[in-house]
Amino acid sequence: MRVDPHYVTNLVSSLDQTESTEQQLTSELSSGVRVNSLSDDPLAAGQNVLLLNQIEQDDSFTQSSSLVQGKLQVADSALGSVVSELTSAISLATEANNGTQNASDVKSISSQISGILDEVQTLANTSYQGQYIFSGTKSSTAPFSTSTSTSPAVTTYNGDDGVNYLTTPNGQSIQLNVPGDQIFTGSGTNSVFSALNNLVADYASGTVDTAQAVSDTTALSTALNYVSQQRVTIDNSITQLTATSDAVSSEETQLTAAQTSLMQADVAQVSTQLSLAETQQTALEDVISQLGSGSLFDKL
Amino acid sequence: MGTISSAFSLISQALDADQSGLNVVANNVANANTTGYTEEKPNWQENDPIEINGVSYGTGVTQTGATSVRDRVLQERLNQEQQSASASSSRLTALDSVQSLFTSASSSSSSSSAGNIGTDITNFFDSFSSLETDPTNNADRQTVLSSAKTLAGDISGAAASLNSQKSDLDQEAAAVPSQVNALTSSIAQLNVEIQSSSPDADAGTLEDQRQEDISQLSKLIGVNQVTTANNGISITTTSGQALVSGGTSVSLTTGTVNGVTDFFVGTTDVTSQLTTGGGSLGGYLTARDQDIPSVQSSLDQLAYSVSTQVNKVNNAGTDLDGDNSNAGNIFSEPTQIAGSAEQMSVVMTDPNHIAAAGSGKGTGDSSNATAMAALQNQTVVDGQTPINYYSNLVTTLGSTVSSVETENTAQNASVTQLQTQNDALSSVNLDDEASAMTTLERSYEAASKVFTMLDAIMASALNLGEQTTVS
Repeated sequence: MRVDPHYVTNLVSSLDQTESTEQQLTSELSSGVRVNSLSDDPLAAGQNVLLLNQIEQDDSFTQSSSLVQGKLQVADSALGSVVSELTSAISLATEANNGTQNASDVKSISSQISGILDEVQTLANTSYQGQYIFSGTKSSTAPFSTSTSTSPAVTTYNGDDGVNYLTTPNGQSIQLNVPGDQIFTGSGTNSVFSALNNLVADYASGTVDTAQAVSDTTALSTALNYVSQQRVTIDNSITQLTATSDAVSSEETQLTAAQTSLMQADVAQVSTQLSLAETQQTALEDVISQLGSGSLFDKL
Repeated sequence: MGTISSAFSLISQALDADQSGLNVVANNVANANTTGYTEEKPNWQENDPIEINGVSYGTGVTQTGATSVRDRVLQERLNQEQQSASASSSRLTALDSVQSLFTSASSSSSSSSAGNIGTDITNFFDSFSSLETDPTNNADRQTVLSSAKTLAGDISGAAASLNSQKSDLDQEAAAVPSQVNALTSSIAQLNVEIQSSSPDADAGTLEDQRQEDISQLSKLIGVNQVTTANNGISITTTSGQALVSGGTSVSLTTGTVNGVTDFFVGTTDVTSQLTTGGGSLGGYLTARDQDIPSVQSSLDQLAYSVSTQVNKVNNAGTDLDGDNSNAGNIFSEPTQIAGSAEQMSVVMTDPNHIAAAGSGKGTGDSSNATAMAALQNQTVVDGQTPINYYSNLVTTLGSTVSSVETENTAQNASVTQLQTQNDALSSVNLDDEASAMTTLERSYEAASKVFTMLDAIMASALNLGEQTTVS
């Protein structure tokens, strides 16, 4: 059987192959990434795109939600202050209604309630980072203004009834605001401002029309309960936001771990393979230098 | 009759034969490393015996030339395998350049790295999610525009790179015909020479040259060979176009059709046949006409769908200036799918024109921003979400490259094996030559020894009956 006299050439091409294997393993070690080109693992590369997408979405949501929580907290504390203001208005009105007050006391109660109304209107016109939070979607317009040209005075709502939502990565919508007209000038006896304006007018002259004043005071109590209910919506949004934010954070951690284990080079395995490749290369070099030298001619 | 003088001529013929045998050996050793050289073996022919008075006498030996030791069938198989290996090798080189455009898809960093279209898509839609919380915020709006620019830049950059790779391949392919034509005309010429010099037997060195030319040709394009009368070879392309027929060769010419180089034999456009035929030209053409256009059309689809859908949603809302359902396009609106990737760009300059609010709502409304962010989960790109579409693009490309790699490795191994077999048969083995040379040397020594003895016998014959006057 005849032998290929050029077999040393084939050994040299094997040497090239081991060297390129070494190079690839070395680049895997230095970059820490198992997949250095798409063809190394096409499915992993495609999966990686999807995982990175999800991780980035989660990260972006976490950042947005922490920004928006501030706004919701401000709304909540504004409404909390409104509730305490209305409570003191109700106790003032009750005092005026019990018939023990003289005319000048009643007039002073009227101006105190008028002060409370101004305070409540200021709270209703709260802004966060330059945007009014109770104007619906007309956030550059102050929601409430009072005209004293009539008696009782009239407070008008200048915003709209738009509601904004934040979409979470898994598709839920979290309400971000409650429009001012829903909280403060709700229909019928739910209107805070009309109740306050009526009370101011009731006590302005110093004499109390008890039936009217009592019904207006009751209206104010109803309105206060209504405000508390609206406040719950904001509180729910805050709770929902915190819970979602936590869930998204932990999902992001898990996905990051999954993505890392998908793409990262197994250092131990790569080092072993590299060491084997180097050994093989040294052995090949020795073989080549031993063989391929000499033929029968040397012995003649 | 067996005379001493006839013995002398017999022996001197033997000496001549050995000398020319040594010539053949020397020629082999001299050409041991010549490409395409096949080992030659000297041929010995016994001369016809003569018959005198019923007794037959031998008349010695003649060396009748050398025969090349080759297996034409083995060489043909080697050429066929070489065609496939060259094709997959040049295709693989081209595909490696293509896949390097998308390698950042395998990056483990989630921060926006240059050229990572997947991250760009995510960041673009995330910028709208951020806008949901604060629709009038100028900084958030600027972020929308800048992430749109990054996305458009990376997609159009990738498309432009693909185009330039395609034209590079075109140039490489266009350089092949001149080499092919040189080889085919050389083969045709050799056909003529071989037909005239050795129509019935192996043509030795001329055949070596012809086989070497065919081997070079196989690396360039896919060919079939047919042996014809009088030791000729006809060469055709794998789809049957005649390239060499007897002493005439047909040139492969190029021409530009639809902006790319096409190949012609005479007036017939053989480009699609050459693509599937093999050889490095087949590899270049496959990459140029199939692989690259498929990635380009996927990118075009992505760019077209994203641009048109985003523009549509933006024009359905109200922007910060109060423009209702007329806010303007964010991306330049493409007219057709083909070419939309390369032309993708951001035309909106004023962040106030981003319509975050729903139609007819106040400027603090974020429902249109929500709708825009929701696009990333809708199947707007050929029945898939944008990120799924891109992920599939990446996987498909990677799988193609991987399978060509596997093919190439297998074919290279096959070529090596056939090459080894061929070399074992036809290459000069120095050990063989050394032993052949020793044999011839010894037989030359033996013949010259016989000559010396015959000389002594002749001297004795001349001195018969006399005192030694001849020595």
